Amino acid sequence: MILTPEVSWLAILPDLVLALGAAAVLLVEVQWHPVTRVLAWVAGGSIAIAAGITVLQWLAASDAVAAGDLGSLTAFSGMILMDGFAIFGRLALLATTALGVAAGWQFFKDLGRRGAEGLALVLLATTGFSIMVASNNLVMLFLGLEVGSIALYVLAGLTREDRKADEAAIKYFLMGSFASAIFIYGVALMYAGTRQLTILGLGDFLSGFIVSSPGVILIGIGLIVVGLGFKVSAAPFHTWAPDVYQGAPAGIVGYMAGVAKIAGFAAISRILLTAVDDFEASFLPAIAGIAVLSMLLGSVLALVQSDVRRMLAYSGVAHAGFIMTGVVGTSTDGILFYLLAYAIQLVGAFAVVAAVSGSSGSGSALSEYRGLSRRSPVLAGSLTVLLLGMAGLPLTSGFVAKFGVFADAWFNGYEWLVIVAVLASVIAFAFYLRIIVIMYMEDDESALIEVPGVVRLVLGIAVVATLVWGIIPSSLLDVVADALPL
Amino acid sequence: MPVEMLWLVIALPLLGALFLHFLGRRIGEPLSGWLASAAIGTSFLIALVAAFPFIEGGAHGETSLLWEWMPAIGASLEIQWDPLAALMTLVVTGVGSLIHVFAIGYMHGDERFGRFFTYLNLFAASMLTLVLAGNYAMLFLGWELVGLCSYLLIGFWYTRPSASAAAKKAFVVNRIGDFGFMIALMLVFTSFGTLSFAGVFERAPEILDTGTATAIGLLFLVGAAGKSAQVPLYVWLPDAMEGPTPVSALIHAATMVTAGVYVIARSAAIFDLAPAASTTVATIGAITALWAATIAIAQRDIKKVLAYSTVSQLGYMFLAVGSTAYVAGIFHLMTHAFFKALLFLGAGAVIHAMADEQDMHKMGGLLKRMPTTAITMGIATLAIAGIPPLAGFWSKDEILASVFERGGWFSVLFVVGLITALLTAFYMTRQWVLVFLGEPRWEEGADPHKAPRVMSVPLIVLAVLSVVGGLINTPFRLTLEHFLEPVWEGISIQHPPEGIGMFLILGGLSVFAGLVGVAAAYMTYRRPMESWRSFEDGFEPLWGAWEDAYRVDDIYGRTLVAPGRKAAEVSAFGIDLPVIDGAVNGVAAVFTDLGRRLRPLQTGYVCNYAALLLAGGLVVVAWILAGGL
Repeated sequence: MILTPEVSWLAILPDLVLALGAAAVLLVEVQWHPVTRVLAWVAGGSIAIAAGITVLQWLAASDAVAAGDLGSLTAFSGMILMDGFAIFGRLALLATTALGVAAGWQFFKDLGRRGAEGLALVLLATTGFSIMVASNNLVMLFLGLEVGSIALYVLAGLTREDRKADEAAIKYFLMGSFASAIFIYGVALMYAGTRQLTILGLGDFLSGFIVSSPGVILIGIGLIVVGLGFKVSAAPFHTWAPDVYQGAPAGIVGYMAGVAKIAGFAAISRILLTAVDDFEASFLPAIAGIAVLSMLLGSVLALVQSDVRRMLAYSGVAHAGFIMTGVVGTSTDGILFYLLAYAIQLVGAFAVVAAVSGSSGSGSALSEYRGLSRRSPVLAGSLTVLLLGMAGLPLTSGFVAKFGVFADAWFNGYEWLVIVAVLASVIAFAFYLRIIVIMYMEDDESALIEVPGVVRLVLGIAVVATLVWGIIPSSLLDVVADALPL
Repeated sequence: MPVEMLWLVIALPLLGALFLHFLGRRIGEPLSGWLASAAIGTSFLIALVAAFPFIEGGAHGETSLLWEWMPAIGASLEIQWDPLAALMTLVVTGVGSLIHVFAIGYMHGDERFGRFFTYLNLFAASMLTLVLAGNYAMLFLGWELVGLCSYLLIGFWYTRPSASAAAKKAFVVNRIGDFGFMIALMLVFTSFGTLSFAGVFERAPEILDTGTATAIGLLFLVGAAGKSAQVPLYVWLPDAMEGPTPVSALIHAATMVTAGVYVIARSAAIFDLAPAASTTVATIGAITALWAATIAIAQRDIKKVLAYSTVSQLGYMFLAVGSTAYVAGIFHLMTHAFFKALLFLGAGAVIHAMADEQDMHKMGGLLKRMPTTAITMGIATLAIAGIPPLAGFWSKDEILASVFERGGWFSVLFVVGLITALLTAFYMTRQWVLVFLGEPRWEEGADPHKAPRVMSVPLIVLAVLSVVGGLINTPFRLTLEHFLEPVWEGISIQHPPEGIGMFLILGGLSVFAGLVGVAAAYMTYRRPMESWRSFEDGFEPLWGAWEDAYRVDDIYGRTLVAPGRKAAEVSAFGIDLPVIDGAVNGVAAVFTDLGRRLRPLQTGYVCNYAALLLAGGLVVVAWILAGGL
């Protein structure tokens, strides 16, 4: 008998469109050598089409949930998930990608003919991460993770002339490979302990059977946490982040960090909270430990940085800790809200960094921001809103995000963790405020900064999103509340 | 008019305020005033149509959700439309429209004419937010916004130092009250897990024990005492008269200051479980009523008399709601809005005519010059004095009768209320006679003139309301009582005694008190100045104490403000600089130092990174293993 695999192209259509878009960008470049603008239209078009299809998937999934037809939320014999969680994760990735490409527009243009490579890599990275958030099978998830990660390694070193960028790319690649190895070893141990490779299968298995010696499974969980913890730059697996944030081209760092966080945390939440949730009592204390270490280390080290990019890297470590707090709270909607809100703020903040100190260079000293409010009110104003959003000031999306994950952890019995988290937020406030003070209170006679229209657009969207989701949280909360994993 | 449309009632004045904020200067006088009046007037019409189902009877309260802000805590923009909200809305928009129109004449020639109506419309929108709120969060939003508008309008003529000082005082004293109010809201939230009226009131009996209910009630009283100028937080209201007179009429007599009464009446379900808190409310009300009435007797400034009179009348309302006679309290709130707005507007017309003179010793004999103002103010005076069949008689009598019916401690409060009624009649008649009768005692060059039509028409409308407004709730026809009945379903509320006999006895008593007051004042002040001056001197040193308002401001200044300022100085330079700043800087320094020490972790060498990753990974794995085995 010949078995035909169950193929449902619709389920992976957004990923196909992105991959084809990447191929098209390269082919068009080879064939016609057009100006970068044309390539950007191709890339942007494929992102837009992918996003449109994803929105349709979202509607279809809501209808299916409403009709109680949960079977239609899986595809490829259960390999791919089309639940609200996966689709929202994909949408968040696409939104970050669209903003990231726009913010890095100057960078791609400056690359000249290699701009096509950059755009193709961005599309491929998003394809990989998009598969990752939708995978039910751990091996499939690993594949997506690698496709995405390898594209990011190359992106980090795309400006070959810049020694710092090279260093960042090599470091990122070496450490990333190390982390990937640890992750796949964890997957192997999970399989050894349960004979299960799918997330849903693991969940059923672990809640259906009593595992007499769970040691292998627990080690597996630990290794998976380490591997994914690296991708989201949680302490103590964060060491690559400052070097990469500082060395990689500014135009694209926001995108790189944003999608890696979204995909990494989506995978962590899905595995920990739906597959092995029966072991929550065992691993949540360790996750809380990682959260505390990330929040405190990230905030304290951010305080002493004299480079804005390194500061944003450490603040990213702290944010990884805050999102881990949400994992401890075991509720996925708070995590998703945080991820989207933060990723957009990050892309916006790096758009400012790129505008202030050039899109392809590395480094971005704090002193360059002196008097920015006079040199470019648009940049200073947007960065202020975005930083206040990251700091979690009320009436910004950052506040709602923090409130959400803290409340979840609190009601899950981790009151002490929330107290530490609030303390860390207070420390974190100091360094965000420091940049704002430098921008507004100190004078500098340097030349005015021209802000390209596309960067203005990115900043406008990021600022509006930060404020609207802060003032009308329900506009996003209602959406993430429906974005539940199967 | 479906309840879903009621957001328009708030939106219209809000839009008016926004529009005038940006274009007020361009469209100029008097068009911006007419626009503002049209905005609030339309709100009144909408509210009137929407209130019809309640008037016909049988309709139940409805809520309409505009926007869910934080559904988890029951904080959303949610309009609750029930008879109480309807009545408050009609009073705010009805009296508000008249005052808007009056202000067109009164503010004529002011260079910030447009800005004045911006604030006035903003105030109306805020006050409507307060009374239409369906939960405590939205109510608090309105509560704070009316406070802000009050502050802006008291200090409207900000170039006068006294006006800015008064605005600041009102702000600070109100903050004290707001603090109590906020704690009350937190207690409500921790007890119920929601701030929505429906959620709180329905479950109050099962959730609240007497202790918590009393705490919440007393904290509400603190908030209400601040906003509604009760002892000991009343001191800001007399100073608030620095604002333009239409502001005094609208905000500091007819509407905003009644917010405290409204909150207590709205929270009746909580007070129902806390008799001690209710009794405290009533007692504070009675003390305030008498206290302020004595001060009002000796004031020379025409607006100060009315200010203390307002404090005193608000005391009556507290006495009523504290005695759980909620209908009587709200009834008096309404009639008071009519005649006190009228008195303030009349006083405004007088001040206007006398070229900003406010000292009653320098008035007199104005009856011939401005008959409309004199007659309408005379009606209001008789109304507040409680002379039947004017509006004040019915509402005041219902309060006193209800308090009497409670018995016990409330009998004492009844006597206090009766004495206050006599004093009220006395000082109001004194004011009217001093201003309108007798010889002119004008300063040289004064040439009082009639008020323009735009000012006199609102006076006449309010005068008509002051005459007939009380007829909606007489012992013979309890229209208002039936109208408001559904609001306090299931809550024990105090009614006046049954039977026409008791009504005649109690009504007779209060009418007698009123007539004595009116007659005494008329006889005394109709005579020449020397005669009544010597009458006043006969009461020394009491009269002096009353005239100086018992020197409460001085006492507060010496006991609270000066030490407070001292404490602020000490804490700023003695404690904050070396200790707190030191601590903050110290903490910052500690963390910065910690950061520097941790920096070597980041060597830049991949081997070290890998080692750290491995070590961290081992710890995490070990931790998880230890947790599970």
